Amino acid sequence: MSDTHTQDLDLSEEAKFGLGAHAAALAVVCVIALVGNTVATENTVPEGLVGLIVLWIMCMIGMLLTKFVPFKLPSVAWISLVGILATMPWTPGSDWVLDKVSHVNFLTLATPCLAYAGVAIARREIEIAKTSGWKIAVVGVLVMTGTYVGSAIVAQAFL
Amino acid sequence: MPIKDILLDWRLHLSMLVITVIAELVGVIAVPIGIGSILLLPLLYAFVMGLLINPNVISGARALIRDRQVNAASPMIVIAIMPFIAKFGTIIGPSMDKIVAAGPALILQELGNLGTIVLAFPIAVLVLGMGREAIGACFSVAREPNIAIIADKYGLKSQEGAGVMGVYVIGTLFGTFIFAILASILATTGAFSVEALAMACGIGSGSMMAACSGALVHAVPEMEEQILALAGASNVLTYATGLYLCVFVALPVTEKLYDLLGRKEPAKAGA
Repeated sequence: MSDTHTQDLDLSEEAKFGLGAHAAALAVVCVIALVGNTVATENTVPEGLVGLIVLWIMCMIGMLLTKFVPFKLPSVAWISLVGILATMPWTPGSDWVLDKVSHVNFLTLATPCLAYAGVAIARREIEIAKTSGWKIAVVGVLVMTGTYVGSAIVAQAFL
Repeated sequence: MPIKDILLDWRLHLSMLVITVIAELVGVIAVPIGIGSILLLPLLYAFVMGLLINPNVISGARALIRDRQVNAASPMIVIAIMPFIAKFGTIIGPSMDKIVAAGPALILQELGNLGTIVLAFPIAVLVLGMGREAIGACFSVAREPNIAIIADKYGLKSQEGAGVMGVYVIGTLFGTFIFAILASILATTGAFSVEALAMACGIGSGSMMAACSGALVHAVPEMEEQILALAGASNVLTYATGLYLCVFVALPVTEKLYDLLGRKEPAKAGA
């Protein structure tokens, strides 16, 4: 969903990067994740490294699909699809893939992302938060609570 | 900005490395409150530390991080979430049978997104007296695809645009906290099944899902695999089907409700 028609708001950051740059930027992120994974878990550096290389390859396949498949899906949707297909029980080699990625903690992988997100908050966003004021903050909390609880209620009803 | 500048911005990447290490060293902290407990996760500390070194938030941080780094950080968010999403995929794959079993609930829970209209919209219009910005603010959880819908239909300079941008920013700033807190409180109270709460975790952005499912896993560690599989599958579906629900159901319904409840005269500008 990176393809938006907005001029004054740049949501299409993915478009700026070529594949080579993606590969390199992804490697930087993986290095940070490797350190995080080593600090946070019992996994050794070689275990984490192999796991992250496997994940890196999945991300790259996902990005290739994003680029070359004619219908548009966001790269995260392709990447998760690659991850799913690689680990389905009847996929050859899925046990090997699962064993390798099991040494990478999923929650630790999100930590660097959120750190970047904190630094990326632009002045414009602070301005919007200030000018919209407390009302929009109240509404925002209600929107998220309503969406979450609404989804949970419907899911509960149909389980 | 040139790609090379982003890649070679070692000041930015090293700061992120230090933040990640500190956040992981602190680890998970559970804060007990009356009806449950709130889980503080490393990814939340990482976000706060990111804010603290952001010169737009703390002007003293300019010594370390400048606008250059702020601009470089933005495209890195999308990149940084990718290994996480790939790992999520590898959790969904082996649990495919459970996901197929939960299929109907998983698809239908997208309808739960309409909960925002039920809860937030009446309060925005009737209690807070908001104008047409309430339409943009309340029709969805206001992530990027939803902004695109509003931008397409009304333009972002409109009142509806101001509404969706306002909630987007609130979500960006506080969304991870709100979802993590909601998930941990609801999980510890036992009012909902863990599976339902896990599916609901998938409604927002990748980082919201991370915070939400992370909090759930810490609350109910023995169900880790199911939680992650359901949250991840739900998040994929949000991208696949959520957009259509927004365009064809949520936005028209919100507009109808506004005709019913909202101001009849032209709303004052910039309210």
